[in-house]
Amino acid sequence: MRALLALYRKELLSYFRSPIAYFVVAVFLVGTGYFFLYNTFLTGNASMDETFQNMGILLVTLLPIVSMRLFTAEVNGKTMELLATLPFQPWQLVLGKYLGAVSILLIMTLGTAINLVPLVMYGNPELSTILSGYLGFVLLGMACLAIGQFFSALTQNQIVAALLTVVVVLGLWFVGHAQAFQSTPGMRALLSHLSFAIHYGGFIQGLVRSEAIAFYLAVTGIALVLNAGWLQWRR
Amino acid sequence: MTRPPQGGLVIVACLGDHCRGLAAMGGSGSSPANMHRPTHHVPTVSALPPLHSVPAAISLESVSKRYGSRTIVQDVSFTVDAGEIVGFLGPNGAGKTTTMRMIAGYTTASSGRILVAGHDMALHQVAAARHLGYLPETPPLYDVLEVGSYLRFVADVKGVPRGQMSAELERVAAACRLEAVMRREIYKLSKGYRQRVGLAQALLGDPDVLLLDEPTAGLDPGQIQETREVIRAAGERHAVLLSTHILPEVTMICRRVAIISQGRLLAIDTPEGLRSKAEESNRVHVLVEGAVEADLRQALAAVDGVEGVSLQAAGSDGRLLRAECLVRADSGVEARIARAVAARFELLRLERLQPTLENVFLRYVGDTTLDAHGAAERAAAA
Repeated sequence: MRALLALYRKELLSYFRSPIAYFVVAVFLVGTGYFFLYNTFLTGNASMDETFQNMGILLVTLLPIVSMRLFTAEVNGKTMELLATLPFQPWQLVLGKYLGAVSILLIMTLGTAINLVPLVMYGNPELSTILSGYLGFVLLGMACLAIGQFFSALTQNQIVAALLTVVVVLGLWFVGHAQAFQSTPGMRALLSHLSFAIHYGGFIQGLVRSEAIAFYLAVTGIALVLNAGWLQWRR
Repeated sequence: MTRPPQGGLVIVACLGDHCRGLAAMGGSGSSPANMHRPTHHVPTVSALPPLHSVPAAISLESVSKRYGSRTIVQDVSFTVDAGEIVGFLGPNGAGKTTTMRMIAGYTTASSGRILVAGHDMALHQVAAARHLGYLPETPPLYDVLEVGSYLRFVADVKGVPRGQMSAELERVAAACRLEAVMRREIYKLSKGYRQRVGLAQALLGDPDVLLLDEPTAGLDPGQIQETREVIRAAGERHAVLLSTHILPEVTMICRRVAIISQGRLLAIDTPEGLRSKAEESNRVHVLVEGAVEADLRQALAAVDGVEGVSLQAAGSDGRLLRAECLVRADSGVEARIARAVAARFELLRLERLQPTLENVFLRYVGDTTLDAHGAAERAAAA
């Protein structure tokens, strides 16, 4: 446990001493602020639905920049040789680094909370829907980071890791659209179950379904287990 | 280039390393460079008896590493006991770093067994890692962290008790002379400091087994001296495997030396042991004036105890010939050579070279080429 926390602390220290975290958080908050202004003030609609929709797409495209360096930077900086020979279990390595990245996600999430101030002051938003939207947002981000971290362990090249992550994550985001081309109900149901966007859409509308939560957690868990297995196998 | 007086006879029978200084001072030809390099030798360190009562801290049993069809390390077995420093020598690409990485647990062995502090690396890597300090070839540093934060991170993972944390950080900082830079970011450090931060992290937690891959690389002479003292002190209680290119370093601080080449362990012994093994094939150098190559070769080959002869012209006018004779390790062969040569030609100089560790090393790793060369010479002489 102490090793895991030490790694987590090291990850956080590293994030805030390199420009990448600041860049990603800043771009995300500026983008979200713009979408919020546009969706709320121009339409006069005191809800976050549209903004959450836009935040989801923005998140899916920005998080690969956070995750791409998780293991590639360790290998390229020759520090993997340290991590792999210190008394770490593979799962501790995976979880310590992952929790560091999730902290960045949470900072991004908390940063958008400032949008709620005018919403509550000048409108009458449905807070439970907003909370449900945030839950979906964090779960979506967690799944994207886990996938991205796995790819960062698979390759030594940050760009390749980012591209693989974008392809898979956007693929899972848009896979729901392929429903239109399916004639069998089973196939349509499968595609809808696999869709990041469809599950996320439920959260935005205030639907907290256990199936959706389980889906995101399962994707996260599978990616992390594959990650740990890969680290063990590669030695 | 000084030249001995014409017709003079100079016999320099070299009995030890220090004699080569004399030979070099009076030297007249272009003898192979490795013969004249100074070596330092502290016999007291390596003369200690091996400690067989304590179980080996590092033990390799028939360890091999293959990547696809390429074999990087083949059937390597040796042990390092607690309280001894073993030098790991080999040319670049010999498999030193791969072997170090397998012992450290960074990669697994394709076959064979590695025990570190009694733990099988293949089965209980994490348990073994608690007893390990490892300095890889490139110091594994996080550039954006301060030295203190970095060392604290490693100490935390190694499980240094919280109550002893500051004392332990101070101890390694003092040992590696890092006190002045503890609050500096690592990317701002010079190469020497980076190397010492790398060594400091390996020393954290006072591990039973230290694996150091070229720990003095990039250090200035003063720092090298200090670092050797740190390693020597660690080696008094712990097992240290030290990979290096610097041969004097090995004679100075290592009890035993392992020589590896092309993935195979060629020898492991004390520096003295290696020297005495190599002594069976001593060399005698002869400088002759006014001889024809074929005649000199014939004369030398006819001497009892001479097993091989190689000739080369020395000096610019072609009147000087330098002969290198491979001789049996019996006494008196120099005198027989001197008589045989002096009877027919002008013998200017004769010296018997005892192997330095450098020569021993070169002989081991270059065995195939030397053997081929020697065989050709013998064939030509016969």
